[in-house]
This record gives sequence, C-alpha cells and structure tokens, in this order.
Amino acid sequence: MSILRVDNVFKDFSGIEVLSGITMEIFEGERHAIIGPNGAGKTTLFNIVTGLYKPSRGKIYFLDKDITGRSVHKIARLGLSRSFQIINVFPKMTVYENVRNAIVSKFHHRFNWITLLNQDKEIERESNRVINVFAMEDVRDALAFELSYGRQRHLELALAIARDPLLIMLDEPTAGLNSEETRDAVQLIKEVTGGKTLFMVEHDMDVVFNLADRITVLKDGMILAIGTPNEIRENEEVRKAYLGRR
Amino acid sequence: MSRPQTYRLVWTVAVAALILIYPFLVAEIKVHLAVEVLVYVLFAISFNLLFGYSGILPFGHAALFGIGAYGTALILNHFPKIPLPLTLLLAISFSFIAAALIGFFCVRLKGAYSALLSLAFQMFIYAVALKWRSMTGGDDGIGVTLPDLHLPVLGIVSMKNIYNLYYLTLIIVAIGILACYVFLKTPLGNSVICIREKDMRAAFLGYDVFLTRLAVFSVSGLLAGLAGALFVLFQKFVATSCVGLDMSLTVALMTVIGGSGNFFGPVLGATFYVVFQSWVSSLTKHWWIFMGMLFIVIVLYLEGGLISLFKSEKIRLWVSRLGK
Repeated sequence: MSILRVDNVFKDFSGIEVLSGITMEIFEGERHAIIGPNGAGKTTLFNIVTGLYKPSRGKIYFLDKDITGRSVHKIARLGLSRSFQIINVFPKMTVYENVRNAIVSKFHHRFNWITLLNQDKEIERESNRVINVFAMEDVRDALAFELSYGRQRHLELALAIARDPLLIMLDEPTAGLNSEETRDAVQLIKEVTGGKTLFMVEHDMDVVFNLADRITVLKDGMILAIGTPNEIRENEEVRKAYLGRR
Repeated sequence: MSRPQTYRLVWTVAVAALILIYPFLVAEIKVHLAVEVLVYVLFAISFNLLFGYSGILPFGHAALFGIGAYGTALILNHFPKIPLPLTLLLAISFSFIAAALIGFFCVRLKGAYSALLSLAFQMFIYAVALKWRSMTGGDDGIGVTLPDLHLPVLGIVSMKNIYNLYYLTLIIVAIGILACYVFLKTPLGNSVICIREKDMRAAFLGYDVFLTRLAVFSVSGLLAGLAGALFVLFQKFVATSCVGLDMSLTVALMTVIGGSGNFFGPVLGATFYVVFQSWVSSLTKHWWIFMGMLFIVIVLYLEGGLISLFKSEKIRLWVSRLGK
C-alpha cells in the first residue's frame, strides 16, 4: 500500500524551477532514499511534502488523502514526521522536555489546560522510554544546546520518531558527523525505525546503500532514476550524473 | 524537606503573612498605594504571559485593560442592580472577546509587526473612548459609585472602605496570578513555551501555532481586563488614560524592570514601579526622568531585571555570610 504519493509536482521560486514534474510513491514498510547533487531539489521536495511550501502544480497524497496545501501541523498530525538537515531542536529546553514536547503532541494533549503536565504519568513514562531507546538517560536533564553535536543529532532523530509516525522523513540524518559517529547513527536509525516506513535525503553513499531498499535519484529538479541500490549502482546515467563524479 | 525548600516555604509564609496584615501596619494612604500595586501586578503578569512566555510583544496591551475598565464602569452606571461579581465577570468576558478578535490578527505576525498592530488596535480603542462622548464621557471619563458586596457570611461589605477593597483586590489578584501560574504548568502552557522556543519545530510536531498563540493572547487579555476592572473599583473613575499609550508603556516598563524571564519578575517590577513613582513624584514633578534612567541602567547592566538580584544562589551567599 502506498503511504505517500507525489503526483507530478512542480515548484518554482520566483521563476526558477526547482522541481519539474516529480512523480513518485513510497510504500508501506519501505526505506526510500533520495540522492542527488546539491541543488537537485531534495530538501524542497521534503518541504513540499511536509506542508512548509505549497507546490506550484501537482498533488501530494498521504494515505490516499490529498494533503496538498494543508498546513504543517495538520499534515504532521496525520502521522508524518520529519527531522532536519540543520539541527532543529528546542535549544533552551532539556532533553527530557524536548522529547516530552513530542509525546504531548502524540497523546493529543497539546490543548489540555485542565491537568498539570508534570502529573501526567503516561507522558512521563513514554518520554522516558523514548530517552532510553536513544540512550540519552545520562543527559536527560541537560539543556539541548549543551549537548555535543553528535548527541544533538540523536535528539533531532528522537523528536522525529518519538510520536511513532506512519512515515518518518529524515533530512540528511548524518550531516556533519564524522565516520565513526555516522556508523553509530546508521546503527541507531536501523534500530529505531525497524519495521517503519522511512523516507530520507542523504548525501553519504555508504549510508544510503546501507539503509535504503529503494533509491530515487534527483537531478536538476527531475527524477533521473528510481530503483533498488543495485539497479542504481549499475545505472549508466546515474553514474555519469552523480556517482561518477565522486 | 531539603534546605532550599525550607527556605522557600519560610519565605512564602512570611511574605503571605505580611501581605495579609499589611493594612494594619501602615497609614491608610499606604493602603491605597497597595491596592494600586496589586492592580498593576495583575496587569504586568498578564503582559508577561505574552511577552515572557509566548514571545509576543503586545505593545497595545492597554486596549484590553481599558476594555475591562470601561466595561466595568459602564455596567456599574447603567445597570447598578447587577451584583458586583457578575459585573466583573461580564467585564472580563468583554476583554476576553476583544483579545480574541485583536489576537486573531496580531498573533499571525511576528516581532515588531505584531507589536505595532496591537498598538494600532489600542489607538483605535483609545480614539473610540475619546470621541464617543455620549457613551464614554470623552476625556472627562466616567465616575462610578461602587455598589456594596453581598457576601453570605460577612453580610454587606462596603467597597467604599479601602480596607475591604484591599482584601477584595488581594483575593482576586491572587486568584488571577495563581490561575496564570497553574496555566503555565498545564500541557497548553507547555505548548505556549514550546512555540515561543521554536514555532516551526513545534508545528512539525503537530502543534497549531496560530490557535495556541490565540488562546494565550485571549487568556492574557482576560487577565488584563480583570486588572482594568479592579482599577475602576480602586479609582472609582475611568478615563482615556486607561486605554492610552502611557498605560501600555507603563506595563511594559514594569515587566522589563522586574524581569520578564521569571514568573514573579513582573510582580516585583510593578510593586517597585508604583512605590518608586509615588516616592519620587512626592519629591519632584519630573519623576519620569529618574524612571527612565533607572530603566536604562537595568536594561544595560541587570539582565533579567530586579528579580535576578534575588537569585537563590545570591541569597544563599548572603545568608551564609550573615551566619558568619
């Protein structure tokens, strides 16, 4: 079953066409990666799917529901969650509070003004569970901006996954990490997204070939190829356009 | 109980006791001053709910204060039969609705734009108060006669007695502050803070930025209106100064002087402001100059406002020094 369907999406920013006719589908349970050179439109596509930008043309379907042009929070509530290329956590809140913000939203307590937040055992338990999964117990009460870069990346990932979304979108989850940290991050992503649908943008080819079942290659706002890692590796055009340059 | 907790409890009990017996310790004129302090404390708390906790600068907050004030005065004059609690309730519902309407436009914008738009709404309401003479009395304002309060056990309580008014104001302001304090501890309060920290990130987690901000704007407007209503009970009079730019600036100054980063900062700021103003203006007409200088000094050298002087580490340091 398709979770996400992008149907002939165009996007231009004041005349400059960034995406030209993207059509693709993400199926339930698959791990799909988008690769492509800088400026290919990968993050723009993410921003359109998550509702930050509206497409100039075309439609986005999430679980066969048309979500084109809906606002960010409404799309997020349908069960779509994302992380960011540039760390985007709540810097002046503790790790626990960061995760709790996601859990409050997961349990739909965002507008609850009747009960006290720190009395809610269910939210507390679930937040602590997520912190355990991400092995962040030791920094539970540290402010997010005080963490090392690598651990901020983990927190970023935790925020994206804590709500138990149907579709997890990761925008370059290993950006800025060294090779050892990248290995850890890949391992962590494998663990925490097991059995879930994953849609990611990634630059690091090792990460992509390690994590993805299917790959979409984007170049100049158009899809160059879609296929399994092996098919992509063998694809002449892709080699010429992207892989060969490395 | 740990030691800081014990200190805290002792402090709280001491301050509460002092506030309760205050009217019996001082001259009557000081009780008047205390009522004024209480009214401004509530107003500053409501201002800081937006400025400190939501990241919204409501530059025209006097609009909501004024609506509460005019609402109270008009009801007292035109419908004197309505019991006082109901009058207050009606007045704050006016300011709540007005805040929802004003907020509907203001919370969409960010930073200076939001601040200036709220100022524009305030000037609009100011203009109405000034020009609609038949209703508001224009710059003459409206005088009111305070009704007696009928209470179950105490019987008839006259509001003309400043001591009674002090306790009534104290109870209402305490409830307002407590409500605001508790509000910030609820999940909705947390949503407000989370959106202040990073609105876009919150939206990607499913938080409705607009609706949450609108909710807190309306709650803040309600509290500002309550302060305005109490102001009329205290002054027995309402005039355009209640919805004027001065009033908006005053509450902003109080909050910044006290410290917007701390829940009790505005309490200290408002208290200090009123007392300082009353003291300096008894010495010179130009009290504004001193207030202005003080404001500059605090903004430049005392980040976190006056309340930061009372940080627990500092107090502990003093206490330990005294112990030696």
